[in-house]
Amino acid sequence: MPLHDVGYRPWQGQRSGSLAAIMVIATTGIRLAWTSRWLRRAVFFAWSPALVFAGSFFVFEQAVDEGRLGSIRDSARVGRNVDGVGILGRAIADALGSTDEPPADPHEGPEAETNRTRRAVWSRLMLAFMRSPQAILLSLVVGLVAPALVSRDLRAKAWLIYFTRPIGKLEYVGGKLLILALLVASITMLPALALWVAGVAVSPSLWVAVTTWDLPLRIVVASVALAIPTVFMALAYSSLTAESRIASFAWFATWAACWIAHASLTTADAVRAANEQMIEGSTETSPRIRDSGTVFSVEDGPVRSRRGNVRPGGPQRPLADEFLDLVEGRSPQRRSPLDVRRFRWLSRATGIDNTIDRWAWISPYHALGVIQAWVFGIEKRWEAILPPLLSLSIVSIVSAVVLWWRVDSPARV
Amino acid sequence: MIGSSPVEKPVLATGIVKRYGRRTVLDHVSLAVEPGITGLVGPNGAGKSTLVKAILGLVRLAEGSVAVFGLDPRREPHRVRREVGVVPEDECAVPGLSGVEMVRYAARLSGIPGIESLRRAHEVLDWCDAGQERYRPVETLSVGMRQKISFAAAIVHDPRMVILDEPTNGLDPIERRAMLGRLTTLARDHGKTILVSTHVLPDVQSICERVIVLAGGRVRLSGSIRQLTHPAVPEEQLEVIGPVDELVGRLVARGIPARRAVALDLRAAVAGSATEGTVLLQVNSPEALAAMWAEVGALGVRVRSLKSSRRPFEEVFLEALRSTDAPPTEPLHAAP
Repeated sequence: MPLHDVGYRPWQGQRSGSLAAIMVIATTGIRLAWTSRWLRRAVFFAWSPALVFAGSFFVFEQAVDEGRLGSIRDSARVGRNVDGVGILGRAIADALGSTDEPPADPHEGPEAETNRTRRAVWSRLMLAFMRSPQAILLSLVVGLVAPALVSRDLRAKAWLIYFTRPIGKLEYVGGKLLILALLVASITMLPALALWVAGVAVSPSLWVAVTTWDLPLRIVVASVALAIPTVFMALAYSSLTAESRIASFAWFATWAACWIAHASLTTADAVRAANEQMIEGSTETSPRIRDSGTVFSVEDGPVRSRRGNVRPGGPQRPLADEFLDLVEGRSPQRRSPLDVRRFRWLSRATGIDNTIDRWAWISPYHALGVIQAWVFGIEKRWEAILPPLLSLSIVSIVSAVVLWWRVDSPARV
Repeated sequence: MIGSSPVEKPVLATGIVKRYGRRTVLDHVSLAVEPGITGLVGPNGAGKSTLVKAILGLVRLAEGSVAVFGLDPRREPHRVRREVGVVPEDECAVPGLSGVEMVRYAARLSGIPGIESLRRAHEVLDWCDAGQERYRPVETLSVGMRQKISFAAAIVHDPRMVILDEPTNGLDPIERRAMLGRLTTLARDHGKTILVSTHVLPDVQSICERVIVLAGGRVRLSGSIRQLTHPAVPEEQLEVIGPVDELVGRLVARGIPARRAVALDLRAAVAGSATEGTVLLQVNSPEALAAMWAEVGALGVRVRSLKSSRRPFEEVFLEALRSTDAPPTEPLHAAP
């Protein structure tokens, strides 16, 4: 018995609007999800790549401060990897190398040129950060939380609690989406914004914040672009079953299967293209291939991209020839297969590997990568952007429709 | 006619039809729920749950309309649900929350802000005698305790109407009496409208002022309990041990209207006892009374009791179900 039982009393306070229910659902959902030890570990781990990238920001800004930008750029222009500027040196070098084109203003001073270079380098580092470690960790974190969000309500009949209250589907779905959106933001947008702040902090002048003002906006947009399709798809899976295990399996299976499909299709393309090249230009191929008379296979190395995309510039040179070029100080082709092979993930992530991935639309990870490259201003070709954009839009819309249809389905029967 | 203005009716359903595919679950149901406690009874599949969903605006009706305190649940579901609290039959919970968190969550979803929702949750749980169990996760609570939590969650936002589906399920006799007492308090002292959907007919008879019998998607019977259990003609109820049928025959032969009552005692019904039962008879004059006693004495029948007849609600309910093929009754009218 309570010490002072006041009995039942009417309540006549001011009620908050139904939109406040979205925040109630979101905060309660996050609190419940946060009790998972694995989620806490995953979110903590998701911040760790930011430390590595912060190191690269620091090294780059150190080089700017010490006036070594010119020598780094020269190294980049001759195709050398800029190992002296951190483990992401290749990204920096490529960004520096990409500033070969003459500036818009021919009277541009060294400070303006430095700012232009900084923007290029920072954009590529941000893209690499958002695209490669964070997008993968995002799939992990969303996969830990999302499958249970709706399916658990279906199993425990918690929908009876929601839909007998003054809230509707909009508030319910909004609350669940907000749970995931906040989690996605915590592992993509927040670390990226922290990186930008760290970059400004280690730069020679705080004016760098002004010259790179658009990067935080691009980070926010890139995070939203990451969140929308993934969050809708994950919740749609969750709404289709009362067993969160099944939803979880479907989520991870989608990412893995689409990745494998993408890799298979691009490899098949590469083999076909390489065979066509061999037939059309057999005189330019290596003596080994020409003499053997065999067609290219997946193991044939430098004459094709490992991912199988068709690389521009006609037939490729053998690996040994390019290596000799480097050793003997000759200037090899920029973005040579040697570099691409050594820094494959990074070249993809940062947009250095600028071949059009025509199968990107088939895999959420690759499609999201293209969209982020577009957001960061690195990918500007519509033929590369449109298929992933359409693919992700369709996935988002279909998922939203399924989610909307399913969330209150038990109430209708 | 319904007494008060339709705007003030807690629930007014007019000719509602709900179909799931080819199956008609509610077939031109018209009813009114008055303030006070109303029982909604009927066999499984009668359409009770669908009616509750219609009241909450959760299902789209093929025909007809529902008004809850004058509001259309389909057009203004938020306003309707703010005025209604629901205790569902199925156990429902948000796994991971404790009992008090569950009630607080319900309060916050209903618009009670911040810390006030916690204070209110504790206050209502105190009234429900939830004790320290309220701090345990909901999924670890006993069935009875979960029922208390569900009830507390339904009334935490102080709704004008509470709908309960099998509220005494899983409660021990003491808790059952306490729950029925709370419902009576809410209706009597706080003016709440209570709609109880249940199979436990003694509960209906003990607390409900009115009742609606649904069967086959139609309203079979509706009215006040007093009205329904009151016989059309004043009768006496004579409970005897002896040759019941022979006694009835002799009374009829002496011009006293008499009949054997439907056996509600399952043991008597199964045994088809000819030597034990209840006779309903109309004794309108002292002469008739003397004749009755004479026949009782002549047959050597032992009299257990003689009292003014009031039909048990169970009998009324069973009669209503038997008349399933008959056309449904008119909508419920206010008790006289």
